[in-house]
Amino acid sequence: MNYKLKIADQASEREKGVLRTALRRLVPLMRGEGRAVAVSLAAILVTAASTLAAPILIARAVDRYIAGGDFRGVLVISGILLLIYVVGTVSNYVQVRTMGAVGRRVLFNLRNSIFNKLNSLPVAFFNQNKAGDLISRINNDTDKLNQFFAQALMQFLSNFILIAGAGVFLLAISARLGAAALVPAAVVLALTQLLSPWVRRKSLASLRALGGMSGEIQESLNNFKVIVAFNRLDYFRDKFREANEANYAASVSAGVASNTFTPLYTLASTLAQLIVLAYGIYLISHGAFTIGLLIGFLLYVTNFYAPLRQLAAIWSSLQLALAGLDRISEVLALESDMRTVAEAAAPRAGDGSILAFEGVTFRYEDSGKEVLHGVSFALQKGKTYALVGPTGGGKTTTASLMARLFDPTSGTVYLEGRDIRSYEPAARARKIGFILQEPFLFTGTVRDNILYGNEEYKGRTSEEVVGLLESANLHTLLSRFSEGLDTPVKSSGDGISLGQKQIIAFMRAALRRPDILILDEATANIDTVTEQLLEDILEKLPPETTRIIIAHRLNTIENADEIFFVNGGSVTQAGDMEHAVDLLLHGHRQS
Amino acid sequence: MKKTETRTDNARSEAAPATPSLFSLLRPYAGIIALLVLLTVLSNGLNLLVPQLIKHAIDTYTLGSFALLRLIEEFAAVAVFIFAFTYGQNVVQVYASERVARDLRNRVSAKISVQPYEYIDRVGPSKLLTNLTSDVDAVKTFVSQAIAALISSGFLIIGASVLLLLLNWRLGLAVLAVVPVIAGTFYYVLGHVRKLFTRSQEAIDWLNAVINESILGSSLIRLLNSQHYEYQKFLAANAEAKDIGMSILRLFSSLIPVITLCTNLATLVILTLGGHFVINGAMTLGDFTAFNSYLAILIFPILIIGFMSNVIAQASASYARIGRVLDAPDERKTGGLKADLRGDIEVRDVTVRFGEKVALKDVSFAVPAGQRTAIIGPTAAGKTQLLYLLTGLLAPESGTVLYDGRDINEYDKQDLHRQVGFVFQDSVMFNLSLRENIAFSKTAKDADIELAIRTSELGDFIDTLPDGLDTVVSERGTSLSGGQKQRIMLARALALNPRVLLLDDFTARVDAQTEKKILANVAKNYPGITLVSVTQKIASVEAYDQILLLMEGELLARGTHEELMAASPEYVQIFESQKSTNQYELQA
Repeated sequence: MNYKLKIADQASEREKGVLRTALRRLVPLMRGEGRAVAVSLAAILVTAASTLAAPILIARAVDRYIAGGDFRGVLVISGILLLIYVVGTVSNYVQVRTMGAVGRRVLFNLRNSIFNKLNSLPVAFFNQNKAGDLISRINNDTDKLNQFFAQALMQFLSNFILIAGAGVFLLAISARLGAAALVPAAVVLALTQLLSPWVRRKSLASLRALGGMSGEIQESLNNFKVIVAFNRLDYFRDKFREANEANYAASVSAGVASNTFTPLYTLASTLAQLIVLAYGIYLISHGAFTIGLLIGFLLYVTNFYAPLRQLAAIWSSLQLALAGLDRISEVLALESDMRTVAEAAAPRAGDGSILAFEGVTFRYEDSGKEVLHGVSFALQKGKTYALVGPTGGGKTTTASLMARLFDPTSGTVYLEGRDIRSYEPAARARKIGFILQEPFLFTGTVRDNILYGNEEYKGRTSEEVVGLLESANLHTLLSRFSEGLDTPVKSSGDGISLGQKQIIAFMRAALRRPDILILDEATANIDTVTEQLLEDILEKLPPETTRIIIAHRLNTIENADEIFFVNGGSVTQAGDMEHAVDLLLHGHRQS
Repeated sequence: MKKTETRTDNARSEAAPATPSLFSLLRPYAGIIALLVLLTVLSNGLNLLVPQLIKHAIDTYTLGSFALLRLIEEFAAVAVFIFAFTYGQNVVQVYASERVARDLRNRVSAKISVQPYEYIDRVGPSKLLTNLTSDVDAVKTFVSQAIAALISSGFLIIGASVLLLLLNWRLGLAVLAVVPVIAGTFYYVLGHVRKLFTRSQEAIDWLNAVINESILGSSLIRLLNSQHYEYQKFLAANAEAKDIGMSILRLFSSLIPVITLCTNLATLVILTLGGHFVINGAMTLGDFTAFNSYLAILIFPILIIGFMSNVIAQASASYARIGRVLDAPDERKTGGLKADLRGDIEVRDVTVRFGEKVALKDVSFAVPAGQRTAIIGPTAAGKTQLLYLLTGLLAPESGTVLYDGRDINEYDKQDLHRQVGFVFQDSVMFNLSLRENIAFSKTAKDADIELAIRTSELGDFIDTLPDGLDTVVSERGTSLSGGQKQRIMLARALALNPRVLLLDDFTARVDAQTEKKILANVAKNYPGITLVSVTQKIASVEAYDQILLLMEGELLARGTHEELMAASPEYVQIFESQKSTNQYELQA
């Protein structure tokens, strides 16, 4: 399956109605928020009503009481206004509060679901995408959505209502003049519809450039020592400059694009006033309108266009949010093709094997190179197997298939006679321990890492953990760390040696007492004295444990019950040690 | 290094006063910023003209001197100019802010590129990534939104206040009384919000760390089926981010209504007090109307300044963080000595410390030119650090490293790196073609690359690739096997045609047959090369001129294989641990 996400500009979506697309995308995110949305909508209505009512009251106070010299009347109106203002303030508060809370919760859920999605995707996904770009998608793109939900969404709704209210007033006062006043708005809305796909494309391109730049920085900084040692600081500078320039160009055109709306709406607003003024005076001169009405009318034109202009300003942030949502949706839309399948009605003919390959062929999606071709073999419980072969021969791939990090392109892997794909992940993880070639540590302490993912020993005290390690013969390894269990480790950086990382990975896997333990050159960087210790530990594992060892160093495989030679797409039994060594030395080399 | 630490601490505690530089950052852009301010003032000023035009039209109509054509001409001209100025302002604002951001990024990256490796290792790549992305973005927002808005708001506030006071000073003062209330509310809320913003940034950093590790550790997580556990970690960080967001919301949701209420109260004051004055005859109805419109003009810029103060605070904090990178002391200037190395290496009384931990302690030894030296020792003995020291990636706390009898610091670093090839233990691959990965140094010539590939036994492998040397390696080299990556790293070092070759556990991932061939190739194709090799296998280095035994940072023993077998019990122990397989290795 192809998990490659779009990085270059390949936008091809045909947009019909931007607003409709926006609603279709945003509404599902707000599922379960119906009540809160209703409350804030009601609050927005009250706020809008109070905002729209105040000018009328003031106009009345001026016309009737101030002009008439009735100060009591002024005070009465003032009292009513005060009441309206207080109600408006409360509803404004409720509106900001509830809608803001909806935004936060939506963002919270969105982040959770994208993280869950990330966790549900197979290893192939991570091999096919740049880490920097993924991180940018989760951070920068959700942040764009955050800004939209936190600030823009509410303004969006309340402006919408204000516009609708003012529009109704305009048409109610004079249908002809109102219609004329709305013409610029109609034109500018049509233009918005026309321009939106362009603006969104530019925003998307800008977000992609940002993701690309993050990826570039991430790679360069993580490989900094090679860059220094090989005098290629210019590489870092050039690569960065290139990404920075690309980002600059994309941001500028996105910025210019999204900034076209505000001037356009300002123009529409000015033109509407001109139309109303000219047409209004024409109507007055024909006796169809009054000066007083014209002044009021002009106020409502402002009330109509001011929020429309604000809407235009928010519109670009909506575009940006939608572009971010697009990139997130791309990840969310990916489905893992490594589902748990139903158990086959007829299990494999029982040869009592714990693990078996049957006609397994595998090719990597991204390179297309076939690594294994029609491989079949069976492993028995409690034995020790070694996989040997030249580098690039397919040893790690074979081991990865055993642990279902990948699924075979064709053929089946059987675990205890059952298709490995029919196991629940938890059950499979309990049965198989795999010490990876490149050990990975989580930031924390040695203790955190040893107990990582270990449901059984979760929350044990340090003393208990030491006890557990003792009973598993692992405690001597702790002396390799200056502060024992509490030695801090980081996922990046050179604070801890590769050999130490491998020791931690070994302890982590051995402590879980898996039925099958796979070591993929897991001790390659450990000194031979410690390695002997590890061998003793492996020896003392329960007798029913099946061990599968990949190594170059012959001493690590000399105790194997059986040796497999992996090369050129095939896995063949090499018989005894002598034969294996012979194959290694003189066998046909593929790589 | 200690000094830098205290300096950064100072910078943190004085973050606010130490950054008037946010404005000084703009000095090189004075021209474009001036243009931006001019356009902003012009477009805002013209907007104020519109009510005047309307008033004039109505007045002239009532007086009977109304000229429709002139009105349309003037009005249309104003509309077009407003459009032009606003558009110009928006475009200039985008250009100015993006240019400032781009240049700032270039400055930061230029600074990073002259830092020693240990700086990157200490500060951490993810932090620098934040500096280059979100911190720069905060500064960008400041340029694009705050500057023009602040200046034009200042104009408007002063102008409107003066006009209010001129119209009627008593009513003017009464109306202006709301200004300190609004300012006070802003001050209070933003003061609290700022702290929350800092915490919110921390929560985001935490989120990023979890996401980062779950991406980099994706294989392990799937093997252990610990997605649920990762999700719990993520949930904790995400919930924290949400809670802080809610706290910020609580503060903000009271801010806006309070300000609206203040404005409305001012309107109420105008209505009652102004109405009173009008009824008394102390004010005209025209003045009364004008008061209302000026109030609207007054309040809006106050809001803008309030919100912009927040943008400025965020930008200042970000710029202070960037400033810490920009202010980091440059790498000690190394000498300008350029010489073709013979290859004599000497390490004299070197001590290296990581915080409390001693990584190397009083280590001394010499490697004569053209000889082969092996470094052997248990995990975490300081072997890798020793090689880093020889390349100058790491500076010793005390002691010296000498090449051909002269201090490493006297040499031109680039010239030295050209002659010292280093094969790192962990595979570092770039998302470039194989050719570019191997010819990573610019000084590599085609013949050198060719020889390096042959020596590293990569020819057969490259022939199997459809695109050969032009095959692009994926990030982190996920499409290559461990051994292939190691050999590519070797070819990369050999392509320099180095005088000194440093191997860090090179043989760990390469099978015995290939290893033997490669080492023979090196001896044949690079005669006279000085070789220093960290390894675990005694068998492959028994014939070396010198073997160093390193344990817990101390040089325990030094000599030929035979000498060590006779003198060092620790060495014998390591030898014994490998003996059982020696027959096979010897066969090989």
